[in-house]
Amino acid sequence: MTEMILKGHKVAKGKAKGEALVSQSPISFMGGVNPEVGIVVEKGHELEGVSICDKILIFPTGKGSTAGSYQLYELAYLKKGPKAIINIRADSIVAIGAIMSNIPMVDRLDQNPLKVIETGDIVEVDADQGIVRIEK
Amino acid sequence: MLDGKYGETMQNSMELLVALGDSYDAERMVSIGSAHLVSPNPISAGKGGTAFIKEIATKGGKFVVPTTTNPACLEPWSWREMGFSEELYLEQVALSQAIAEMGGFLCNTCIPYLIGHAPRMREHIAWGESSAVLYANAVCGARTNREGGPAALAAAIAGRTPLYGYHLDENRFGELEIVNRVDLKCDSDYATLGYFIGKIAQNRVPIITGIPTTISQDEMKCLGAPFAVTGSISHYHIVGVTPEAPTEGVASGKKRIRSFDIHEFGLKEFKETEESLCVIGPEEAELVVLGCPHASITQLKKYAATLSERKVKPTVEIWILTSDVIKNYAKSLGIADSIESTGARLVTNTCPPAMPRDFFKKKGYRRVATDSPKMVYYVSTTKDALCYYGKLENFIDIVTRKR
Repeated sequence: MTEMILKGHKVAKGKAKGEALVSQSPISFMGGVNPEVGIVVEKGHELEGVSICDKILIFPTGKGSTAGSYQLYELAYLKKGPKAIINIRADSIVAIGAIMSNIPMVDRLDQNPLKVIETGDIVEVDADQGIVRIEK
Repeated sequence: MLDGKYGETMQNSMELLVALGDSYDAERMVSIGSAHLVSPNPISAGKGGTAFIKEIATKGGKFVVPTTTNPACLEPWSWREMGFSEELYLEQVALSQAIAEMGGFLCNTCIPYLIGHAPRMREHIAWGESSAVLYANAVCGARTNREGGPAALAAAIAGRTPLYGYHLDENRFGELEIVNRVDLKCDSDYATLGYFIGKIAQNRVPIITGIPTTISQDEMKCLGAPFAVTGSISHYHIVGVTPEAPTEGVASGKKRIRSFDIHEFGLKEFKETEESLCVIGPEEAELVVLGCPHASITQLKKYAATLSERKVKPTVEIWILTSDVIKNYAKSLGIADSIESTGARLVTNTCPPAMPRDFFKKKGYRRVATDSPKMVYYVSTTKDALCYYGKLENFIDIVTRKR
């Protein structure tokens, strides 16, 4: 097992550890994910049919409707949300959704998380310190 | 405000805004002129968001700036006839009441800027609704980030928002260029260009050239709407048209756009974009959805002209979505009667993505024709329907017959 540490920037406070789920493409929480089941439903999305529930979700940034903040909150409210979020650069819709949902979130890491982290890696996000630990 | 001197809801709102500001390294807050709330309905807000909004109202939260609302999940007077449940109706009424108690203008439309709530140039605002954000920033020259529901709600209560992103001059310059080579003839043609631009620009500010200076308000509304479906664009410039783009140099902040950031939109791209949005033919449609974003009065007049002397076929329904304010205007001009006499329905206060996920299935709307790429995305993702995309003139003979 190897361990790697990335340093970045806190978006939403908190700590969480879990299995990584990586998407190379942006995610829309309004329409793109069904909050009742926590599954990506956007047609043709690389994560279509995949559950984001309890994952450390890594994607470049948010996209789509400004209703996405409440939809992320709804995922958390129904306990179908991700444990933590890592973005290259947070967009305001996902940022505020993570803040109000108490989902730890970081962005602007010193290495590209989409290249360094693979789906299935065990990842620990310590948003307060702005640190991401990766176990491979 | 943060220490609770102005009450709990002000304190909570400021805490949320400070956390948001911190995540963007905002130096301070800025006072806003207005707010526009997305998800003022129990479907897009969800159970969690609905409880969140109602709790703020119960605790006495009040908006300190004019605050408008995006579409609700149903039309308050036709819900029974349209097949919505009483339970949903009551949930909507309770949530709308909570927003009204806080002082909201319950206009329930995505086009607040066309019904008396247009921001002025350089005015700082906190608006949600991606299409309205683009109109406010690009066409009006106001300043807003794309505000999620809770962020706009907190800003409405605090009367301020963190100063970052599109509130700052340096982030408003164009970063890539789209060169239009197509003779765009109608609102849908502009929407096709908009969908193409969203895919390419992602989250950057595009400068669009090759657009006639005669482009109308409706065309700009339709151009911007699909930007944030495929991307998360907040702002754009049309050289010689939008207020921050008298010249390409001003629009880009005197930076030269690099050659790999210049993209052409020609007939090939136009056709490919249109085709990528169609998975069915128009003859398969059970429902036609027009008016996304909500139709303006001039668009209603055009739809009325296209539908005149026709009758909607019994196998299909036509919805034209608009604001209640505009429907009343259309009534006074005789346009509403002219549309409704064909069997098409003017639907106000609502929009399909705000309706329950299983609503289309229950009503038997599995295949939908629309003239809006944004509607294609939301109907296919939130309603599991298959879509045809094209302007109404393309399929008017299929969905109606001559009277």
